[in-house]
Amino acid sequence: MGSRASSLLREEEIEEIKKETGFSHSQITRLYSRFTSLDKGENGTLCREDFQRIPELAINPLGDRIINAFFPESEDQVNFRGFMRTLAHFRPIEDSDKSKDPLVPEPLNSRNNKLLFAFRLYDLDKDDKISREELLQVLRMMVGVNISEEQLGSIADRTIQEADQNGDLSISFTEFQKVLEKVDVEQKMSIRFLH
Amino acid sequence: MMHPSHRVGIEIDADEITETEEEDDDDGEEEVVKQPVTSRKQQHTHKPPTASKDEEDSSEEDAKFKHRNNRRRPRVQNGIRKNNTDHEDDESEEENKETAKNSRTKTKKNHEVEESDDDSELGENRKRTKKPVHNNNRNNRANTNKKLKDEQNKKQKQANNKGNKKGKMSNGKDKKKKKGKPSSSSSDSSDSDDSLSEDELAKVLEEVEEKKKLIAILRTKAWRMKRKLVTLKESQAFIEKFEGALGKGKGRKFYAYKVMMMKKWIKFKRDFENFKTSCIPWEMKIKEIESHFGSSVASYFIFLRWLYGMNLVLFSLTFGLVVIPEVLMGLQYGSIPRKTVPRKEQPTAMDFSVLWEFGGYMKYSALFYGYYNNERMIGVFKYRLPLAYFMVGVGSFGYSLMVVIRTMTRNARESGVDGDDGDFNFSWKMFTSWDYLIGNPETADNKFASITTSFKESIVDEEENQKDENVHLRRFLIVSANFLIFCCLAGSGYLIFYVVKKSQKYSALETLSWYQKNEIDIVMALLGMFVPPLFETIATLENYHPRIALKWQLWRMFALFLGNLYTFLLALIDQVNTQLAEEESIKNKTLAVINSFNSTNSTSEGIPAIDPADFPRGPCWETGVGLEFTKLTISDILVTYGSILVGDFLNALFVRFFNYCWCWDLEYGFPSYTEFDISGNVLGLIFNQGMIWMGTFYSPGLIGINILRLLTSMYFQCWAVMCCNVPQSRVFKASGSNNFYMSLLLLILFLSLLPVVYTIMTFTPSFDCGPFSGKTKMFDVIMETIQYDFPAFIGKLFGYASNPGLILPGILLMVLAIYYLNATSKTYEAANLELKKKMQMLRDEQKNRRNNKNTVNPMLQDLEDLLPNNANVTKSELDKVVIEKQPAITNGVTKANGKYGKEMTLAPPPLKMVVTKPPNPRQASHLPGKQRSGTPGQGPRRPPPGQPKR
Repeated sequence: MGSRASSLLREEEIEEIKKETGFSHSQITRLYSRFTSLDKGENGTLCREDFQRIPELAINPLGDRIINAFFPESEDQVNFRGFMRTLAHFRPIEDSDKSKDPLVPEPLNSRNNKLLFAFRLYDLDKDDKISREELLQVLRMMVGVNISEEQLGSIADRTIQEADQNGDLSISFTEFQKVLEKVDVEQKMSIRFLH
Repeated sequence: MMHPSHRVGIEIDADEITETEEEDDDDGEEEVVKQPVTSRKQQHTHKPPTASKDEEDSSEEDAKFKHRNNRRRPRVQNGIRKNNTDHEDDESEEENKETAKNSRTKTKKNHEVEESDDDSELGENRKRTKKPVHNNNRNNRANTNKKLKDEQNKKQKQANNKGNKKGKMSNGKDKKKKKGKPSSSSSDSSDSDDSLSEDELAKVLEEVEEKKKLIAILRTKAWRMKRKLVTLKESQAFIEKFEGALGKGKGRKFYAYKVMMMKKWIKFKRDFENFKTSCIPWEMKIKEIESHFGSSVASYFIFLRWLYGMNLVLFSLTFGLVVIPEVLMGLQYGSIPRKTVPRKEQPTAMDFSVLWEFGGYMKYSALFYGYYNNERMIGVFKYRLPLAYFMVGVGSFGYSLMVVIRTMTRNARESGVDGDDGDFNFSWKMFTSWDYLIGNPETADNKFASITTSFKESIVDEEENQKDENVHLRRFLIVSANFLIFCCLAGSGYLIFYVVKKSQKYSALETLSWYQKNEIDIVMALLGMFVPPLFETIATLENYHPRIALKWQLWRMFALFLGNLYTFLLALIDQVNTQLAEEESIKNKTLAVINSFNSTNSTSEGIPAIDPADFPRGPCWETGVGLEFTKLTISDILVTYGSILVGDFLNALFVRFFNYCWCWDLEYGFPSYTEFDISGNVLGLIFNQGMIWMGTFYSPGLIGINILRLLTSMYFQCWAVMCCNVPQSRVFKASGSNNFYMSLLLLILFLSLLPVVYTIMTFTPSFDCGPFSGKTKMFDVIMETIQYDFPAFIGKLFGYASNPGLILPGILLMVLAIYYLNATSKTYEAANLELKKKMQMLRDEQKNRRNNKNTVNPMLQDLEDLLPNNANVTKSELDKVVIEKQPAITNGVTKANGKYGKEMTLAPPPLKMVVTKPPNPRQASHLPGKQRSGTPGQGPRRPPPGQPKR
């Protein structure tokens, strides 16, 4: 498998991806083979349908949002670079990743970037705020029709009220961070990629 | 919830993991071998691929050599420069470095990370002392070294791709040997810092070299001594730590082994955890129920499971130590009168109707007290059965008490530790409740249900926290409800009393009609059927939180059922007394017969003059008591299962299928589907357990019946709940511990302990049946054992210990200890509460301060507005706030109080805290909007102290 996948992948490309995402060489070749197996159209890019074939995403209430996260603005194709860039958010944090230098941009898998990824799942209109409407949409996806609209509204209100610190009736990213302060995001938003 | 931990794990592609994990065996290994094999191949192509043992060693050395080679070139290059710099002072060193860096930035752009490392180094001198790696030498070396390495890597990979198969084929043994080391590098556990990929390995290798060199030249550095020492120590530690990982130095094999074992251990621990979870019986069933019906219904099943576990222990005690020894080693059936069915009962002894009532052969079996012989020792082991019988009877009470109390304390501790962090309750539910690893549609359904349920539970809790309407009306309602319920209880109590009195009068009569015979039972059944719903109806007046309402309901029904228990016990004691009187008359008659039987028996070797079946015998009141309890248990089981079948299953069938052809909507109309009756079921379970406790002493087989009952009811009720019940309209969160059920159980345990101990202590055991026959009191068996089997002084000790002069002070001491411990725990509780309050205050204050900063403080705001950068942002933000609030306000106004009031239920309560800051004009302008959502963070959201969460 390794040889087939990497034969399609140029070495320079691998180097660049490695630099950008922090994945190791073997991980990249592995994920590339995965990428090609997902790619039913065999045109080197993935479309939304390719993702929707994954059962975990198909039944996930937020599956569409996650799939969206793979696609750059107003595009419905994602190439391997983009695929890897998104996956890099889920690389576990290792000691070597901890940058000693504030000037270097944080690696994609830092706690903040992980949180930001999650935040964007909820922030539909990309205004860097989770509004009541956006929360309501998520709620509807999660609980369906089992809870009355009225109650959903109050849940959303309540959530905002819990998280909101500056009184703008929406949740900004810093507030989001604050809410999930005690959640072990580093651990939970990590996937074991084989080396 | 399926997964109690709030999960944020976002699994893009779980197939990925499973797939790759499957491949792990061959592929991982392949990669694992990759590096060493290929490196060897590069340098020693002349050697045959089949590596022998010594070649293996040499290849190791080769690798070392190669690494050194790698290093050598740059080292030579650096050597020249080093000589220059070493004798210069720090400043020039830094200068030098800067120039070096500049030159490098031109040529090399892909080492940005290292560069910036150096930048920070420039800024902070101190940092360099900590990390001596970033030395001048390194920068220069890094250029060439890295380049080399990249090239080499590339080559390796190419070689690898081509000759992968060959390398893999090379040697199995080799592979295995090699696996040790790379297993540290190609690890599968993400979080361990031991895992090093190939390039990381190279990086670390480089650093180790660096450190080594540093140590070598440290002496010549023009640093202060302290710095030198610190550097030296750090470098040495670093080398010590990583050299092993890199296949250099003596610690390599050991290190590899250690790392491997560590990984194995971690994996094993994880597997073991999984295994342990899968070993918890019915966990999946209960979780499924919990996800659909909420934690309150699940709490019943958890309680049931706990009871089953406890009964299993009691069962093994009773059967292992009493029943089985008697069956195996005691006399056979039919050998003595107590083990034989009497002649006049024999024709019907095998009839089903008789056996069903536990008569006939059942009555004269090891299931009941009467079957046991009073021989002191039985079998070849000289097993002291009567003593064992007594000890097991007392021991099972002791064990039950201990277990109940221990569970209660553990629950209490857990609930204390748990610390309900209700700060971001809804937010966490919203953002973290979905488990992204779910790939199975059925599981996903359950998860949906559980999320919904947990939201509903939180809503109910919230609503309750916010509720403070008319206090006086509420109080009035509560008082009147309690009064009504008290009237009901008193009425039913009097009814029971009256019926019992009447039945005692009936007993004087000769002929009884069917109604007269069963009057008590009928009255009790009617009471049990109609009073609990009545209580529930009255309880709606009180309008408590359903969790608290459940507690009240349990207590009230408990009081009602106590009447049941009381009449039952009263009837029993009456029965025992009459039987005791009857026994007296028979005793004299039979003693003579026994004497003659014994004498004939002893003379004519084992041929009894009278068949044991014909032998006159007493009523054996112990067996009678055991029989009553067994019958009661059986009828209880039947009633419970029958009511589930008829009340739930048939009802559900009817509603489901007749709904197609009925005049009104059956599903939402009158019969509807039933809800799971938590209080009734829990109490049924508790009272049943009380019966078992009371009955086990006189009927060892009862516990076996109970085991079967609990087992079947687990499956049956699980099925019934999932199949024909609907979740409650107000799903509520059960208290974290089942302590309330436990306390009821403890009470019942105590109540059932009393009559058993009373009968043991006061009644004379029957003269011709049971293990204690012939003794004046049952506990004489202890005295007997002490007297015969123990040395004399123990008997004396026992005598002293049972002296009231010793016992009374002991009791006094215990009371004092309880008092003291109680007082301390109260103090701790108060302190705990105080701390919690403080934390909440702190949080609120923080929030307030932020609020003030952002929107309220006008001075600051104005100042910020002056800044051109900020102005736009804040302006637009403010606008947005206003816009967002606008519809809400109109909504609130137009819809008057109906919907508005409902929505308010989730908002925080009005100000309860001490106001520390004067109100600001800005805040006032935002007031309408704020009112709707409540001023965030100003009201403490913790439940009022009067309503403890659990």
